[in-house]
Amino acid sequence: MTRHKRRRDPVGAACRVAALAVLSGFLVFTAYLGFAASRGVGIDVLRGASSGAVDGAGMGPALAGTLWLLLLTAVLALPIGIGTAIYLEEYAPRTRVTAVIESVAANLAGVPSVIYGIVGLALFVRALGMGPTILAGGCTLAVLALPGVIVTSRTAIRRVPEGLRLAAYGLGATRWQVVRNQILPAAGSGIVAGCCAAFTRTAGAAAPLLVLGTATFMSFAPQTPAHPLTSLPTQIFTWATRSQEEFAALAAGAAIMLLLLLLIMNLISALVVRRLSGAAR
Amino acid sequence: MMARRVSGAGTASRAAGERLVAHVLLACTVVAVVTLAAVLAVLVREAGMFFADVSPWRFLTEITWAPAAAESRFGVLPLLVGTAQIGVGAAVFALPAGLMTAVYLHQYAGSRTARLLSGVTALMAGVPTVVYGLFALHFVTPALRVLWPGVEAFNALSACLVVGLMILPTVTVLSREALDSVPAPLLDAGLALGAPKGRVVTRVLLPAASGGILAAVLIAMARAVGETMIVSLAAGNEARLTWSPFEGLQTLSAFLTQLGMGDAATGTREFQAFFAVGAVLFVGTYGIHMAGRMLVSRSVGRAGQ
Repeated sequence: MTRHKRRRDPVGAACRVAALAVLSGFLVFTAYLGFAASRGVGIDVLRGASSGAVDGAGMGPALAGTLWLLLLTAVLALPIGIGTAIYLEEYAPRTRVTAVIESVAANLAGVPSVIYGIVGLALFVRALGMGPTILAGGCTLAVLALPGVIVTSRTAIRRVPEGLRLAAYGLGATRWQVVRNQILPAAGSGIVAGCCAAFTRTAGAAAPLLVLGTATFMSFAPQTPAHPLTSLPTQIFTWATRSQEEFAALAAGAAIMLLLLLLIMNLISALVVRRLSGAAR
Repeated sequence: MMARRVSGAGTASRAAGERLVAHVLLACTVVAVVTLAAVLAVLVREAGMFFADVSPWRFLTEITWAPAAAESRFGVLPLLVGTAQIGVGAAVFALPAGLMTAVYLHQYAGSRTARLLSGVTALMAGVPTVVYGLFALHFVTPALRVLWPGVEAFNALSACLVVGLMILPTVTVLSREALDSVPAPLLDAGLALGAPKGRVVTRVLLPAASGGILAAVLIAMARAVGETMIVSLAAGNEARLTWSPFEGLQTLSAFLTQLGMGDAATGTREFQAFFAVGAVLFVGTYGIHMAGRMLVSRSVGRAGQ
């Protein structure tokens, strides 16, 4: 299409402006984070102990808490979620019940995370007596992640061509042999990508953890899951609500730390996805 | 099933292994279903006890929300209105911008620009909402207060703008999927008839993708309505019935975070009020999300025909 014609396309012009606005919105956001965090340079960010004017200002404990939470969520939600997806797709007969489970799981993935927080408080913190610990946080986040893991794993398994299944069964393979040797290698990259997306949402969740009750001041890194709950997202929230400039800078620094963590997680997942989809070919 | 009849060494142990795996996978499914059912059960039980005490009619019609006060009042309207305000406000910013960006990506952008913009969108989608909340409170609100000195320190406008920014990637990605599902020959036919590109977009592309676009809108709205951290940071946490975007407000979701700050004991009416509000928010977001997903499957089914 020639330049002349393009210029007379008001729809195209409007769309271009919109795209530019979206891009600049993101740039302003990034610039703010970088600028705000740069004012915090000099504060010993990884320390947990009191330091000068900004007492208790360090994100070491919060970072350790988030890593603990991620580990617990992965251990609890991944095997159960992926196992459920395999069972529903490859073992269970297609009935009304499986259809309902699928639809409920897909919609639960869209329910606000804070609702999982109040249920987690009633269930894990109070009824099961875990208290506001990292363990209770991990259990709550695992429940939050579960629907997403099930739905994305099922989608990945369903995308495996039917011919692959039929050919393997035709050669006399058993059900588990088909799953282990055909389905999982073919669906692996999709499962990893989907679970990573679910985990990105979980790792950044502040609302459910705030509801469970998080420690706002923590002078040392948590050593076990029985430790009081702390995490980067809730630490960002706590610092953001303070009025002093230093805390805004700290919150921005912690936000960048959290974004880097998520970026590293997604990069690793992208590498694994590439490796797996290469192996399947 | 046929495989079991193949004779040979190890068949029996292999059959046992097969059964074990099937049982383990079934156990996973049972644990998952029981867990998710328990979530629903807790919500229904506590909300049910609340509504046994406070009539749903009073809950929905009274205009004061003060669950922790000595003379507690449970009129959910201020929270409902606040939630609607944030949802509509965010939609006003995000829907046109997101949809037009999707059209730009689909029709106008060169492949390099499209890749860059898609990458930025993917990055934005992964940003935790508490980080957006920080941005709202410490950048957008001060900026607004420079423009309009009448803006309060906690205000709905800042929350709306940033919630809009947060749902932009959802709108863009899902609408683009809807646009991609429109068969290319349809557009080519329009262009071949001599219609200008802009006309093909508004008369052919958008109507053909309308089901998928509506679904994108609904799923994005479900996210906006349930957004918690941006709203509780930027809009304050005072439940009041107001329409002014320059004043603070409280939403259903923001109220729920207060459960962690206070010390409502299990079994009290104040504690149960959180679950009543949670149930309202659950039903709302679940319903919007379900409608969106049904539209997606319908429009995908039609495009495939």
